[in-house]
Amino acid sequence: MEVQQKNGVTVIIMDERFDATVAQKLKDTVKNLAEQSKIQLVIDLSKTRFIDSSGCGALVASLRALIKNNGDMKIAGPSSQAKSLFQLTRLHKVFEICDDVEVAIRSFSQNT
Amino acid sequence: MENEFIVRIQAPAQIIMLRPLDVFVRHLIQQLPAFEGSQEIVDNLELAFSEAFTNICRHAYRSQNKGPVSIEIKVESDQLEFRFEDNGETFDPDKVKCPNLDVPGEGGLGIWLIRQVMDEYIYFCENGEKNVLRLIKRFSP
Repeated sequence: MEVQQKNGVTVIIMDERFDATVAQKLKDTVKNLAEQSKIQLVIDLSKTRFIDSSGCGALVASLRALIKNNGDMKIAGPSSQAKSLFQLTRLHKVFEICDDVEVAIRSFSQNT
Repeated sequence: MENEFIVRIQAPAQIIMLRPLDVFVRHLIQQLPAFEGSQEIVDNLELAFSEAFTNICRHAYRSQNKGPVSIEIKVESDQLEFRFEDNGETFDPDKVKCPNLDVPGEGGLGIWLIRQVMDEYIYFCENGEKNVLRLIKRFSP
């Protein structure tokens, strides 16, 4: 998991697997960021081949933490497995999902 | 690879074991002729395995620091079975509430997801000594 800044947007790049081994780390990272300032966050899943319910739960928790602090979050580049899981759990209706990070970052600037 | 076999693994039920086990299981099932070209089924089996192992670590052994889990991967002519055995707390899967998908939560999806992607979910406490979870996926004819 890696945190970067791109054009004023925070990007968190997730690893190949997004499961219980990393879910708490993401939640803690986003909570800390959200409490410091109002942030626009992209979760980059382009390298993530596999996500499970722990990963999904961490994404929901992250979105809630951001909204509570007037921030926002988008998800970029999910794999076919991630897309299927979002569909099955109906999280595709909750998350704003973009094809890649650049599209996600541009969509923030278009919304402001 | 033989068409029918059993792989047995004994491991500590700790989250740190999840990735190496999951990767092993994925690589194993990817090689099964029954799932050749069925990426979605392989993904779903990996998901079921991940959810089951995580639940044992988080819930069966929640009041203890750690405990063992025995895993058996059994491939037969017409089905694949994951069998997990643990010595942690027993629970009643029928009392686990179905998630309300209209209200996204931060947890509680694991058992529901397993049931979505596997053909059978069988859980019981054997002789009051160990919990057994059997997850079965039948091969398409």
